[in-house]
Amino acid sequence: MTSISVAGSAIGPAPYIYVTTRMRVRKSKLLPREEYLRMLNMSLPEITRIIEESQYKAEIDELSQSFSGIDLVEVALSWNLAKEYQKILAITPGRLRIFLQTYLRSWDIQNVLTILRGKSQGMRVGKIKEILIPAGSLDRITLDRLLGEESPERVVEALKGKRLYPVVEKEFPAAHESGSYAHMENELYKAYYADLIETAQAGVKGGRAFLEYIQLEIDIRNLQVAFRLRQGPIPEDAREMFIEGGEVKPDELVRLAVAEASDELIETLQQRVGAETLGGLIDQIRGDAPIHAIENALTHLRLDKMTRISKRHVFSIVTILDYLERKRFEVINLRALARGKESNLPTERIQSYLVI
Amino acid sequence: MALTDVKPTRSELINLKKKIKLSERGYNILKMKRDGLILEFFKVLEDAKEIRGEMLEKYDRAFEMVALANTVEGAIGVKAAAMAVKESPTLDLKKKNIMGVVVPDIESQAVRKTLAERGYGVLGTTSVIDETATAFEELVDAIINAAQMETTMKRLLDEIESTKRRVNALEFKVIPELKEAGDFIKMRLDEMERDELVRLKKIKAKNA
Repeated sequence: MTSISVAGSAIGPAPYIYVTTRMRVRKSKLLPREEYLRMLNMSLPEITRIIEESQYKAEIDELSQSFSGIDLVEVALSWNLAKEYQKILAITPGRLRIFLQTYLRSWDIQNVLTILRGKSQGMRVGKIKEILIPAGSLDRITLDRLLGEESPERVVEALKGKRLYPVVEKEFPAAHESGSYAHMENELYKAYYADLIETAQAGVKGGRAFLEYIQLEIDIRNLQVAFRLRQGPIPEDAREMFIEGGEVKPDELVRLAVAEASDELIETLQQRVGAETLGGLIDQIRGDAPIHAIENALTHLRLDKMTRISKRHVFSIVTILDYLERKRFEVINLRALARGKESNLPTERIQSYLVI
Repeated sequence: MALTDVKPTRSELINLKKKIKLSERGYNILKMKRDGLILEFFKVLEDAKEIRGEMLEKYDRAFEMVALANTVEGAIGVKAAAMAVKESPTLDLKKKNIMGVVVPDIESQAVRKTLAERGYGVLGTTSVIDETATAFEELVDAIINAAQMETTMKRLLDEIESTKRRVNALEFKVIPELKEAGDFIKMRLDEMERDELVRLKKIKAKNA
């Protein structure tokens, strides 16, 4: 506890050194690539046993009364992720905590949208609750309170005072009337990234590295959307689907998405992330690789870039974010392994979806 | 028609002849209809086989995609994306006529949706959800097509069956019975004519 109180001081580099050191220790405990490759050759019961015997044991034991089989594994993994994020928030002091809270708000967006959609469709509270992952700033108690509200309108009212409220309040009437929360979802993510940029530019220590990473994340996410939009007819409001704040502007992204050939889009990607880091990805895209392979490759790229930034700025927020993302992908990979084995997908196919 | 019920009169014979003619004409028409329906049925059968094959392929693809989506996004992510869809597909049932058989003509609406119409945002999901949604939309379309085809087939089969029964009834029961009744009347009339002739001869011989 002494170390936490030391870290609680917002003055000087101490909080950064304290939290980033703890994150590095935690990161070293994550499953290595070799372990995933070993698990790929295992059967589902063997994978489940490994998960049960690892750091996820507590959640498996806790949830075994309510869930069973593969659902138990998936929910336990999500709960572990949520708890881990909450623990990190608890040990993070001062401004760093604000950084983190802002970054983890994407989980709040996901949870609030799930509650609104569930309430709009008249789903049972228990069913909606199963889909929530309280890894953001809205904890389980707050989410339970939102779930307890009678109608979507009441849920919106209950959000008053929260950071999401202005966008939700503005977008809710149209979304509720049309029954589609897609526009609200996109607007919430855009506001989320705008907040992240604002926080990074607030003149705090580590802000520059944070901004560098956030802009990269925005660009990669926008490029993923551009590749995705190319798969079908481009919607009229395509511009609305891109996030402001990256180096590549939304208008340019729309132009690249509607262009007949993907060459310009690839060129933009090369310019943005550096041709040398793309490696085989360019050949994959040119060779008509499936969209998920492109998305996966871009996610790899983002994580690699993030690790590089974190190595350049060792005692910065990016080191913490690097761990948060790596942890998230550990959960995603374990879930993919378990679900993939359950569905009898070929090993190579499961491997193509792993981020390792 | 029991022969005991038949009145052996000339007018009855004329009526019977009319009935036989009508039955034979009806028999020929129904036979032609049956043959036409069978031809139509085989045409529909070919299409139905193809559509059913497509449907099964799409079913496999859809379930493969949902397995992939569960792998990539987790069941939680898939359920959350599924909750985003509010507008359900609607079906408009019309009728069309194939050789007098009323078969359904189904028009579907809001089955295939664009990315914008699906209700989930692009920024919170991945392309696997798009591909899964597309696979299921294609499956629903294929099921509607298959339902239309298979109902058409069932109706055609029912109609072929009932036409075949009518043709058989005319060929093996109605027309032979009418002909038998006609023959009976003819025989009775001839007999009555011969009786009359003998009677007249006898009267003539008595008077002579």
